[in-house]
Amino acid sequence: MPASDMTSTFNFDATDVNIVAQLRLDGRANNQQIAEKLGLTATTVSTRIKRMEDANQLRVVAVSDFGAHGFNFLLRIAVEVDGRPASEVAQELADLPQVFAAHIVTGRYDIDMLVALHDFDDLSTLLLDKLSTVRGIRSLTPAIVVDIIKYQFEVAPIEDRD
Amino acid sequence: MPTPVLDTLDHQLIDLLSRDARVSNRKIAAELGVTEGTVRGRIKRLQQDGLIAFTAVTGFEMARKSRLAFINVQADVDKVRDVARAISELPQINAVLITMGQFNITAMCLIEELDALVEIASDQILVIQGVHHVETSIAVKTMKYNAKMAKITSLQAIPADQD
Repeated sequence: MPASDMTSTFNFDATDVNIVAQLRLDGRANNQQIAEKLGLTATTVSTRIKRMEDANQLRVVAVSDFGAHGFNFLLRIAVEVDGRPASEVAQELADLPQVFAAHIVTGRYDIDMLVALHDFDDLSTLLLDKLSTVRGIRSLTPAIVVDIIKYQFEVAPIEDRD
Repeated sequence: MPTPVLDTLDHQLIDLLSRDARVSNRKIAAELGVTEGTVRGRIKRLQQDGLIAFTAVTGFEMARKSRLAFINVQADVDKVRDVARAISELPQINAVLITMGQFNITAMCLIEELDALVEIASDQILVIQGVHHVETSIAVKTMKYNAKMAKITSLQAIPADQD
């Protein structure tokens, strides 16, 4: 994510907020349907959506379930780092395809990551072939995700479209 | 959870829609070389099976909450489900995972100020019956976050009544 995204200021007005609310109810609603609900023209709706998208402040996307990709085994792993900058270790971990989120965190551990695996057998490959080659890991404290009660991120860092 | 059988076309559809969900059925059909009816039918089935959901993701400017925080909870083993549900009902909380490990519940939220995290963790979560220990940590830097994949819960499958 370019650093400018964090510092740029984009002002959402009431119309933008209303359009986003409609998109959250139905992301596939067409511009005409949204326009009718809000008493706007389809052109306005289209222009506003494009403006928010171009400013990297909005993406209307399909989110797919872990299960749709065959990921039935999720782990959260807390990492303690020793002898190497945490950012370097975190970057190397983030490059592993099995890691789908990696953050440098405050507190007892240095890195918090979420790992998605197809099944239990993938764990030995991850641990013995991948994680064991990353320098600077002092300890790994795993937690097996047993159930997900809520998972709703409507706000997230938005990357430029390739 | 049984692994649903998805074919190549399903995966192509998911890939296209995960980049931009507002592309029309007609355009998708042309791109993938199938009929509009097929596209419509497939999307409907994927939605009904809880495999995809459409969402509008906004950047940090709109909410002005830009820090991801983790709240790790130790709760009585026999009350884990109830506690997790109670935490998930807090509007500020974005995600709640039940885990087996040092903590048995992980909650995640987006915050603007440190005060907000303390307020949620101490004043709202620690007081829930069955909770005996809470630890927080804040993501100071995100190296990777794949927003295209998530757990689609019933909360999302049924359009949430907002505001």
